[in-house]
Amino acid sequence: MQATTFDQVQETLYQEKLANGLTVYLVPKRGFSKTYAVFTTKYGSVDSHFKTNKGEEIHVPDGIAHFLEHKMFEKKDRDVFKEFSEYGASYNAFTSFTRTAYLFSCTDNLDKNLNLLLDFVQEPYFSDQSVEKEKGIIGQEITMYDDNPDWKVYMNLLKAMYKEYPINIEIAGTIESISHITKETLYQCYETFYHPANMVLLVVGSFEPEAVMKLVRDNQAKKTFQPAPQIERIFPQEPTALAQQKVEHHLPVGLPKILIGFKEAKTGLTGEALLRREFTTKLLLDILFGSSSPLYQKLYDSGLITDSFDFDYSNEKEFGYSILGGDSPEPEKLVESIQQALTEYGSRGIDQDAFERSKRKKIGHFLRALNSVEFIANQFTSYAFQGTDLFTVLPVLESITREEVEMRMKEHFRTEQMAVSIVRSASSQE
Amino acid sequence: MAALTKEIAFETTPLNGLHLHTMKTDQFKTTTMVVVIEQALSEAYVTKTALLASVLKRATARFPDTRLLREHLDFLYGAIFDVDVAKKGERQILQLYMEVSNEKFLSDQTQLLEQAIQFVGDVLTRPYLENGSFADKYVTAEKESLRKRIESLIDDKMKYANQRVTEEMCKGEPFALMASGRAEDLPGIDGKSLYAYYQELIAKNPIDVFVVGDIDPAQVTQYIQKHIALSRTEGKRIAVGTQTKAVTAPKEVVERLEVSQAKLNIGCRTNISYQDDDYPALIVCNGVLGGFPHSKLFVNVREKASLAYYAVSRLESHKGILMMMSGIDEKNYEKAVSIIKEQVELVRKGEVSQQELAQTKATISNQYRELLDSPRLMIDFTYNGVISGRKRQLEELLEQINAVTVEDIKRAAGKLALDTIYLLRGKGEA
Repeated sequence: MQATTFDQVQETLYQEKLANGLTVYLVPKRGFSKTYAVFTTKYGSVDSHFKTNKGEEIHVPDGIAHFLEHKMFEKKDRDVFKEFSEYGASYNAFTSFTRTAYLFSCTDNLDKNLNLLLDFVQEPYFSDQSVEKEKGIIGQEITMYDDNPDWKVYMNLLKAMYKEYPINIEIAGTIESISHITKETLYQCYETFYHPANMVLLVVGSFEPEAVMKLVRDNQAKKTFQPAPQIERIFPQEPTALAQQKVEHHLPVGLPKILIGFKEAKTGLTGEALLRREFTTKLLLDILFGSSSPLYQKLYDSGLITDSFDFDYSNEKEFGYSILGGDSPEPEKLVESIQQALTEYGSRGIDQDAFERSKRKKIGHFLRALNSVEFIANQFTSYAFQGTDLFTVLPVLESITREEVEMRMKEHFRTEQMAVSIVRSASSQE
Repeated sequence: MAALTKEIAFETTPLNGLHLHTMKTDQFKTTTMVVVIEQALSEAYVTKTALLASVLKRATARFPDTRLLREHLDFLYGAIFDVDVAKKGERQILQLYMEVSNEKFLSDQTQLLEQAIQFVGDVLTRPYLENGSFADKYVTAEKESLRKRIESLIDDKMKYANQRVTEEMCKGEPFALMASGRAEDLPGIDGKSLYAYYQELIAKNPIDVFVVGDIDPAQVTQYIQKHIALSRTEGKRIAVGTQTKAVTAPKEVVERLEVSQAKLNIGCRTNISYQDDDYPALIVCNGVLGGFPHSKLFVNVREKASLAYYAVSRLESHKGILMMMSGIDEKNYEKAVSIIKEQVELVRKGEVSQQELAQTKATISNQYRELLDSPRLMIDFTYNGVISGRKRQLEELLEQINAVTVEDIKRAAGKLALDTIYLLRGKGEA
């Protein structure tokens, strides 16, 4: 077990790669009452075309990673929900575009809960009957998202930006696509993506690292696994250009919802380069669109945005984009104002004071985020899969210069990379 | 053996007519400060209080412009600051929230805590005024903003259904009001009337100040004396009616909107609230019924009948309302209602296994212990004790929960009265 201490944030990270390939990270938090554990596989909704360990190339139905996540809780002769409850844990799971995570938090019985987490995720049991039953439940989950205008406007923006890469497909799939899921396809996916070598366990909170690492080692040593499969994911070639410039959709809403996206032209970054690009872009977005920016106040005072206005940047090896927007009575006018402001910023450049202030703000927000064991666990895992380290965020942030942010601005905000998604009520005027 | 529970131990002292509650802990990387002003929930004040929250955060005498105010917060290493309103039973509370990094993690030794307290004092006691009242430009803009916020309730169908069932159920009672108020009151409010309301509120209503972090309480006291100087006497706690309505037969309400998924909300009067001896039994009763994935609603509506993705029950402890919520296909309405009613009936009859009871107590205890890792939740827990007049220590509440028997659950469930069954369904024929 290797220990690394990060003095500035006063955190210590313990890590070990076990014989079966599983990577384990532990972050003890002094003074905390709870422990949060998350067991994650690098397998998400985008991984629907791949080669199985027998070398066969297959396409699986959209939404299967999420479906598999639901079905992992089903067991032949035990009830995972009840066992977690018995040990007083709160438990959950989620599927994103690129990950599936199983998690719990508890203030007692950590040993039992941790063994349960490892065991239930490593003992699949699927039956025809329970697969059929789950289609009704997930069908309602899909319908719930269909009625959610915030989700709709976001997914539609991804569809506008991405023509081929499967982040343009709903994580849960569609009622039609999941109707093709069988227990056989679930096992195929499980065998390909749930090998310990493709997974990471992260535990953050109140515990002794030596004891927890021993528990995980012992748990894993009792199980036998096939040799780690060589995972071969097959992705379509994504063009640099957008799929569409604008998408509109109707749902009942108080005010129209609008999101503007800028799609990265360059992909393939990993490690520190990826982290640096993320924080340079986040600083840039904050300087331009944050609540202390002149633009934000102007848009707010003119009534074009509300306090729902927000922005974010997502960045992984295969894709990257920034998103900004919120509720607006006049979405088209908002797009125009933002385009105009970007042109002005382009010629004027970034103000040194605003840059310094924004950097201080990001540093403070990062420290605050470290109060949350959930943030540490999920963010650490997501970064680990990209070859980045959460605890290097502060030094990276501190070393970013104003010039880098300016360069990023020129590179990132290109008109031809800008897509727009709008959701409004059917009755409202164009 | 249950884990030892730390206590949520605030030290309370009267100060300048405020109640100051401090907690010294080195668990967090930030210091959290919350100021809560208590008001009766009523048609006369509700919209004014909500608007006041928005206007106060726009500007202060020291920062007369919102952009300058936000810049200052960024400069304080991204201090998190917000003012909002919430509903606690038939009380409306206005809360100022401030969270600032602890200097010890920063390379630069700025005195952040004093500046943060000074800022809170600015907002609370030195607002920006023009001609002796709130500036029209901010009042006008925030009226418009608040109107949009109220109208955007419809965006989130779950929240919308919850508000609608509450309105139907509590017609004529203050609890029917939303914390954000009513759009129809807005035209009647201007800078002058709002300022008069503010003066009265700040002079007479109870104000509680909470500070959590690695602080020196004596120093905090000194900063507050210096920066939050109010000439007032301790406000009298708001006495709210514990008005209960006798329900004879449940009312059925069906509403139509363009939705794909129907929302089924069933509201019950519990006739038990926070200060009652039966409150711990009610918590366990709600947990057995629909608090968790091992609970009756989840198991029967979702897992067995495959009708829904979510099927839960939630308590509003001050008013004493238990709300059951589910998202279903509208054609399954009657089936879902009958399964849900059946589950309530089972709890009423005391058909709760020892296993269900043990699981529910373990998960509830865990939820309460997890509060200990969140300054905000610890503050909320303590404040609930303050306003209800029944202060329970965390350990005390956990003991009471642990002592709950099936008989106690039966007794609590016996007081449940099904009040309103509300369905939000699509516009199509069926």
